[in-house]
Amino acid sequence: MKILVPLKRVADPDNANKVKVNGGKLETTGLEWKPNPFDEYAVETALRLTENGTNPKARQGEVVVVTFGPKDTETTLRAALATGADRAIRVDAADDALDGDLVARALKALVEKEKPDLVLLGKQAVDGDSNQVGQLLAEYLGWPQATFAGSIQSEDDKSLVVGREVDGGTLKVRVTLPAVVSVDLRIVAPNSVRGKHTPPTHAYADGVRFAALMAIMAAKKKPLAEVKLADLASDTALKIKYTGFELPPARKAGIKVKAVSELVDKLKNEAKVV
Amino acid sequence: MTKPVQAINRYKADLREMFFLLFEQFRVNEVLGKAPYEAWGEEEVKTTLQEVYRWVREVTGPLNVVGDTHGCKLEGGRVITPPGFKDAWKQLYEAGWNSIGVSPDYGGAGSPAAVQALVLELLAGSNAAFAMYPGLAHGAAEVIQHFGTPEQKKLYCERMYSGKWGGTMCLTEPHAGTDVGSAKTTAKKNADGSYTITGTKIFISGGDHDLAENVIHLVLARVDGAPAGTKGLTLFIVPRVRTSEDGTLGQTNDVAVGALEHKMGINGSATCVLVFGENEKCVGWPVGGEEKINQGMAQMFKMMNTARIAVGVQGFAVASTAYLNALEYARERKQGSSITHWKDATAPRVPIMQHADVRRMLLDMKARVEGLRALAVKLAFHQDQVRVHSGKDEAQVAYHQGQVDLLVPLVKSYGSDQGFRVCETAIQTYGGAGYTRDYPVEQYCRDAKIFSIYEGTNHIQAMDLVGRKLGQAGGANLQSFLGDVAKFVAAHSGHATLGPAVKALGAAQEAVGGSAMRLLMWFQSGQLALVPLAANRFLEMMSELTVAWLLLQGAVIAEEARAKVDAAHPDHAFYTGKVQAALYFTRNVLPGVTHKAELMGAEDKTAIDIPDAAFATV
Ligand SMILES: Cc1cc2nc3c(=O)[nH]c(=O)nc-3n(C[C@H](O)[C@H](O)[C@H](O)COP(=O)(O)OP(=O)(O)OC[C@H]3O[C@@H](n4cnc5c(N)ncnc54)[C@H](O)[C@@H]3O)c2cc1C
Repeated sequence: MKILVPLKRVADPDNANKVKVNGGKLETTGLEWKPNPFDEYAVETALRLTENGTNPKARQGEVVVVTFGPKDTETTLRAALATGADRAIRVDAADDALDGDLVARALKALVEKEKPDLVLLGKQAVDGDSNQVGQLLAEYLGWPQATFAGSIQSEDDKSLVVGREVDGGTLKVRVTLPAVVSVDLRIVAPNSVRGKHTPPTHAYADGVRFAALMAIMAAKKKPLAEVKLADLASDTALKIKYTGFELPPARKAGIKVKAVSELVDKLKNEAKVV
Repeated sequence: MTKPVQAINRYKADLREMFFLLFEQFRVNEVLGKAPYEAWGEEEVKTTLQEVYRWVREVTGPLNVVGDTHGCKLEGGRVITPPGFKDAWKQLYEAGWNSIGVSPDYGGAGSPAAVQALVLELLAGSNAAFAMYPGLAHGAAEVIQHFGTPEQKKLYCERMYSGKWGGTMCLTEPHAGTDVGSAKTTAKKNADGSYTITGTKIFISGGDHDLAENVIHLVLARVDGAPAGTKGLTLFIVPRVRTSEDGTLGQTNDVAVGALEHKMGINGSATCVLVFGENEKCVGWPVGGEEKINQGMAQMFKMMNTARIAVGVQGFAVASTAYLNALEYARERKQGSSITHWKDATAPRVPIMQHADVRRMLLDMKARVEGLRALAVKLAFHQDQVRVHSGKDEAQVAYHQGQVDLLVPLVKSYGSDQGFRVCETAIQTYGGAGYTRDYPVEQYCRDAKIFSIYEGTNHIQAMDLVGRKLGQAGGANLQSFLGDVAKFVAAHSGHATLGPAVKALGAAQEAVGGSAMRLLMWFQSGQLALVPLAANRFLEMMSELTVAWLLLQGAVIAEEARAKVDAAHPDHAFYTGKVQAALYFTRNVLPGVTHKAELMGAEDKTAIDIPDAAFATV
């Protein structure tokens, strides 16, 4: 199976240095970048689907990672290569020259060139939380889609059984390949992904795998191609225009109640929640 | 009832500071991409350190308190390591972190020593006790790699570097601690060329464990009829389980764990009494074969550099996370109001970080930790230069190797002494909370104490410095060192903001040079008794000089870099911190060097003159 995984880097939410707003614009200098966690789950899923979990070094299929951004986003791609992806593509673009729709249209062109059996991506990026690219891409390609995957089973190369995380439980759907699947947090639990090469008894370590030292050293030698955005999308105009940014208002200080009865009273009569 | 321990990570490291040392201060890029580091570039170095940091926070960091609470157990004659250690060991070797500096010929990644030192910081800082097991396996494998016969290398090295087998260093005996030469363990030659080993070793770290299928002990023993003292010691390879030439495990080798020590710290590390040959069935083979009989100490000495550097790294590794934890606490804990409102009982409570004395403690810890790290990276970078110039430029090799030899006792002693003191300051910064097990610093402090004792006590290091290293190469290594400091002083004493501090460095350099002359004079004039009295003090002076120099060197670079970054960029604060730490150290610690030189000049002998009976009459 050939899998294409689009990745995005996001400002590290755990870093002490937070995003600042400066004159209605986002200030990105000095931010530390890391891969969008849901995209890391997508890479992990792609790796699990294309290997025998008991011998993860031999890839049975191909995992291609792609990102959109300036030169320094190649670090994100190299990190994915170090965990096991086979090759990488960087679509050269400035961060503020992109929106979800443009990325989806460019990805469509890339998919037509690369012809993967499956596009796996994170359900959303934790910066803008838009949750759009997967759905738009499926629509533009005319492919079936399964969003918010918490589990994936692949018995053959023709279809996947995807457990979608929905309100109140899991919805199992079968999608015919080629398809677009976006993944949710639980996809990296030990038994969430059942690839056809891995024995059913095998349990993965919880979460995303670590890059081993030798793989970090080998990542430099894996192919990383650069593609121009204009070569993938004839129209690079943005559909989304940002008119301004502001930080959410600071939370007001709470009050201390004197007794439980007062708390109950406030919940009943002020907040009207009980 | 003991409270169940939660495996949560408390470990913190400062990657920005590591990158500064590697790429801005020591410019490791100069050796990256060159033989023997062709495979390494800046990106590989950064990614590796980031991945190791991620790994230790998830794997070894959470086990630090687990190992401390559970300790090791002796069951059925075998050591059981704390819960989780086995899995961590497996993951460590799968990831390859422990063999990062090992030659690719033996399955390693052949990284620069400077990078290896910082990986070691992350491993030892997150869990000092756990890191002992792979550390000793690595050290023992290195001995075999350097001195073993081709067959020994083939059988042991890769298996030990890859974690299939563990390893130990067995020197200490009940009557032979510092005085290694009085070791009584014996070796009797057998018809097949092997030796029968008999004796008891104590305090053996990782003397047994359940992490690997075999443990390869390196045992110092005396062959029958060999001379007394260190000259008659041979280093033997003694496996816990005998193996065939292809590595297949055979019968056990009569090595028994007599007992486990109950210790102040590093409780996750099994410190064992090992009994060799209780049933006269313990066999060993001399490292390097028959012609290496009685060469044991020379072999050990060669390898001690590696082990001593590692102990110095342990020192600042634990101190660094103690500092960063104390800093986090000081930012959050509110107590008292600002001194400017001291009369106003209703003034708002401030984080303790706002109090001058807490700030002093924080900056003191920061300066010491960063200075120690710079010292260790400097040493490691000299090791890298040795390898890069080897076979091409012998003068460069001699210079760099000379600096390595000179700096080893400083890294080991000052790193371990100051590391412990920083941990103590970290507890003080917390106040009562720091004394409890709710916070990690009390464990850090207990764990860190051993560093000044093992691998040769710090006094032994000081004697190595004044007795061997100062005079090595006819004093040329010391002269080069003092010359390097003088060059820095000459180049920067006119610096707009750091100039006065650089001048103070010049004064300290002269004080150290003068004191070295004084030591020489004592040696020459037969006043030997004064030497051990002053040795530790001299080591401290020279260490403080070096640390001040390296902090100032970093500050000069940081000042220049800061001018080019936007004030809102976190690097601006980072560089400011580098400058302030250097100024603090040069103003508050460095002046002590001249003072200590004066104390040495006073030639005080009270500690010798006082009669034994006068210490106490109880
Ligand atoms: C946790 C732990 C782990 C250890 N791991 C190992 C290991 O893996 N392998 C191993 O072989 N050993 C190991 N050791 C032993 C360690 O190296 C010794 O404890 C150390 O060398 C000191 O020896 P000693 O304890 O016998 O002290 P002693 O030698 O009795 O020294 C006591 C004091 O006297 C001083 N002193 C001794 N001789 C002199 C002298 N000639 N001149 C001036 N001062 C002197 C010392 O500096 C010290 O202050 C370990 C010890 C501990 C506690």
